[in-house]
Amino acid sequence: MCAILGTAWDEIGEWRNSGTDADCAWLGKIASPAGSGFVAAMKDAGQNEHLSALMRAAQGGDQSAYSALLALVIPILRRSIRRQRSYLQPQDVEDIVQDTLISLHRVRATYDPDRPFIPWLLAIAHHRMMDGARRHVRRTANEVTVENLPETFPGAEANSEQESYRDPEELRQAIGRLPAGQRRAVELLKLEELSLKEASARTGLSISALKVAVHRGMKALTVALRKRS
Amino acid sequence: MDTKELADWIVKDAQPVRRLSKPWLRTLGWLAIAMPYLAMVIVMMAPRPDLAQKLVDTRFLVEQLAALAVAIAAAFAAFTTVIPGWSRWPILGVSLLVSGWLASLGAGCATDWFRLGADGLSLRPDWICFPAIVISGAAPALGIVVMLRRGAPLRPGMSLALAGLAAAALGNFGLRFFHPQDAGLMVLVWQFGSVVLLSAIAGSIGAIVLPTRRMSPLR
Repeated sequence: MCAILGTAWDEIGEWRNSGTDADCAWLGKIASPAGSGFVAAMKDAGQNEHLSALMRAAQGGDQSAYSALLALVIPILRRSIRRQRSYLQPQDVEDIVQDTLISLHRVRATYDPDRPFIPWLLAIAHHRMMDGARRHVRRTANEVTVENLPETFPGAEANSEQESYRDPEELRQAIGRLPAGQRRAVELLKLEELSLKEASARTGLSISALKVAVHRGMKALTVALRKRS
Repeated sequence: MDTKELADWIVKDAQPVRRLSKPWLRTLGWLAIAMPYLAMVIVMMAPRPDLAQKLVDTRFLVEQLAALAVAIAAAFAAFTTVIPGWSRWPILGVSLLVSGWLASLGAGCATDWFRLGADGLSLRPDWICFPAIVISGAAPALGIVVMLRRGAPLRPGMSLALAGLAAAALGNFGLRFFHPQDAGLMVLVWQFGSVVLLSAIAGSIGAIVLPTRRMSPLR
């Protein structure tokens, strides 16, 4: 395995410079800015076999193979999405890439190593793009573009205290009654406004565990405060 | 979260997964569940008295073979729809086989008409067909839904319509072993009609049974 996979998250250009064996040559084809190399590369069964082998290992729980696979897959996805949705902003492309990665992860059991990897991957990406398009249509259908936002400072309704809870002491007590894990998650993520990553580093809990804990905590708070009011 | 962070998070979450079998293997697995159940239903409902004669009747055999072929092909196609990147040829194959089944039933109607005239095309209520197909296809339907839920719900409506077609066609295949109704038009309207109706119902609840949020980041 070439050095490329050790520095899997570097830019493709760097990979091309650092690679020395067949993997590096393959990456060179993928990253070719001319684009002609991309289609040709995809047609090459050897390249598909390489991705297929990585995916097979990833299905078996091999994290380094999975990491290498994702590093190879991300530029393929970016390129494919940009080509098919040329009007998208870079951040929208990145959103679809991320959606596709999560879907890939969730349905990785459906990949059959006897079949080519790229069509499997691109079918998931296509599905995510269609979902993204539907979301975009829904969002734009409900948005109203205005020239100037109306001034609302003098209006009494605009100065309501809806954003703050009426009785902070009651809220503090309700938080205090939460189970320890949920209380900690709410305090870190909602009161101290830490990011999930920061909260994870501070507590040693996984991001998904924190998400679950804060979700349950907020739900419990809503129920408790609604009962009181 | 940037893409690299997300990928790192995904990698950390990577547990070994049990790979989905190939669609044809899954189809065989489904038949292994469905066939014994169907045999049990036929035995419980009591096989029709003229079954021995029917088993050498070419028209009966062709119609039954067509129904069985549709059931197997539809199950196979349903299993391919939950695997990203599979071609749509199996779905086209199902369409052709359904046409063939319809043609065999149409030929039966024509034969009855030539043999008996207008009497051969009389249509009477036969309400037992629908519930009988539902009962015969219940376990196959349940089995295929459970199996489909292990896949990727890319096109839930299509997947469930094919699953419904597979289960209902198999149910109809079983029905004819215990329900002595062979008049061409009756079979076409009540039995084939029930199969089409059940497939449509299944397709319409596809998004509920196979929610796409299972592969969505927002689930």
